[in-house]
Amino acid sequence: MKRQLFIATSLSAALAGCSAIGTKLNDNARFHSVLDSAEALDQSIIGTHGLAKEYRAQDISTNFPLDSLPTPMNSYYNAIVRDQFRSYKLVVDGAVERPHAFTLAQLEKMPQKRDITRHDCVEGWSAIAQWDGVPLADVLALVRPRAGAKFVVFHSMDSDQQGTAYYESLNLHQATHPQTLLALRQNGKPITADRGAPVRLRVPTQLGYKSAKWVRRIEIVGSYGSLFGGKGGYWEDQGYEWYAGI
Amino acid sequence: MTEEGKAVYRHSLVTRITHWLFFIAFMALVSSGLQVFNAAPYLDAADKSNPARRVLSFDSPQDGIGTTTIFGHTLKTTGLFGWTADGMGAQAARAFPSWLTIPAYQSLADGRRWHFFFAWIMAGCGFFYIVSGLARRNLSELILRPRDIPKIVPMQLYYLRLRKEPPEHGTYNPLQKLAYTLVIFVFAPLLVLSGLALSPGFDAWLHPITSVFGGRQYARLWHFVLMIALLGFFVTHVILVATQGVFNQMRSMITGWYRLRSSDGTGV
Repeated sequence: MKRQLFIATSLSAALAGCSAIGTKLNDNARFHSVLDSAEALDQSIIGTHGLAKEYRAQDISTNFPLDSLPTPMNSYYNAIVRDQFRSYKLVVDGAVERPHAFTLAQLEKMPQKRDITRHDCVEGWSAIAQWDGVPLADVLALVRPRAGAKFVVFHSMDSDQQGTAYYESLNLHQATHPQTLLALRQNGKPITADRGAPVRLRVPTQLGYKSAKWVRRIEIVGSYGSLFGGKGGYWEDQGYEWYAGI
Repeated sequence: MTEEGKAVYRHSLVTRITHWLFFIAFMALVSSGLQVFNAAPYLDAADKSNPARRVLSFDSPQDGIGTTTIFGHTLKTTGLFGWTADGMGAQAARAFPSWLTIPAYQSLADGRRWHFFFAWIMAGCGFFYIVSGLARRNLSELILRPRDIPKIVPMQLYYLRLRKEPPEHGTYNPLQKLAYTLVIFVFAPLLVLSGLALSPGFDAWLHPITSVFGGRQYARLWHFVLMIALLGFFVTHVILVATQGVFNQMRSMITGWYRLRSSDGTGV
């Protein structure tokens, strides 16, 4: 019995030691950059192949969680909510031949695609919903990205308590994926204010934080390095992988 | 006959390097995996999240109280699971305590970075070990063969001291072969696959794999269960090493040389 107790104590001590060493290494910038090297491997091997699984209507989650940042509270958002998004315009500009500002009515008139797909949150939960919207590829085809355009950046209307704005980015391959939607409806109803109204992104092949809500401007760029924290997204600036496929 | 006291070269350099790298990677993966788990401290037997199909959850129903609910039975686990050390000198609503996680403080982003880096190390070690072992044919003495199966029960009886002599066997006895074969060819590969099945990118690419596990939340459940199975093997492995000549065993896994004992097989 003494021996078993000794082994159990040693194993716990080994795990505690592992955690202590790990924490120390984690706070070392050089070691942290070694850890980051795995992202390139994940992206090159898993990448963005194939189509996300599509579900049946009876699979839709009855309770789709609310996540990430709260509903925008700024005067612009309050104004467009008050006039039921009639004055809302989605600006698409940057490295494009024909920059354009789309009204909600124009987006609604474009051919809509309907998907029932699963949303996988980085935290670990999953929820299924039906989404209707305009394939982002169709919008990009209208504005025509110029040579040298590599990334599509989504600027949101929400920000955190420190006032840092939410943004996200996809490469052109992910942005033109047939299931990447500028979603206007969730489960058949216009997207509600707390879930990203009037337009949110849906990227079912990647983790939830890529699916920016309350999108106001789509900027096409050659590099996202000069935007905000330089890592290509609000959560990426806080240490999450830009490749959100895993 | 065993030549007692004779030193034999038992573990190749590849075996020894992959063994210790695998060990480091496994510890880092368990610790960072528990960090990742803490972000959503429950497991559902389903594809999408569904509280009605919750198998395990760690909660803090009120400040200062931690509970663990497994198959609908709730236990108070304050201090161990649910309400635990937060890594910054205080107690908080936190599934696994800070001394078990990498980093100690709550950081899903960092836990993920560690997990995906060491996943490559562990999978790489396993792959290299299997390929080199098959190429040099030294894996064959570890693999359970049909002729070893009738010897499993007598070997277990010997371990339980219900039999005086172990059945005739080679370098590894039939129980060791059973354990190593399961770990190397079943549990470890399934652990990697269930982890990949959690990835939305991998699911889009090869969704039959996620479906085989029963869906995304099920894959999370299996990933956790397989981790516990491998951890169980690890604990048994350490206990056996500690009780079966710890110095000789450690030396052989560091230098390669093992001194034969009377209870060992014929070495054939």
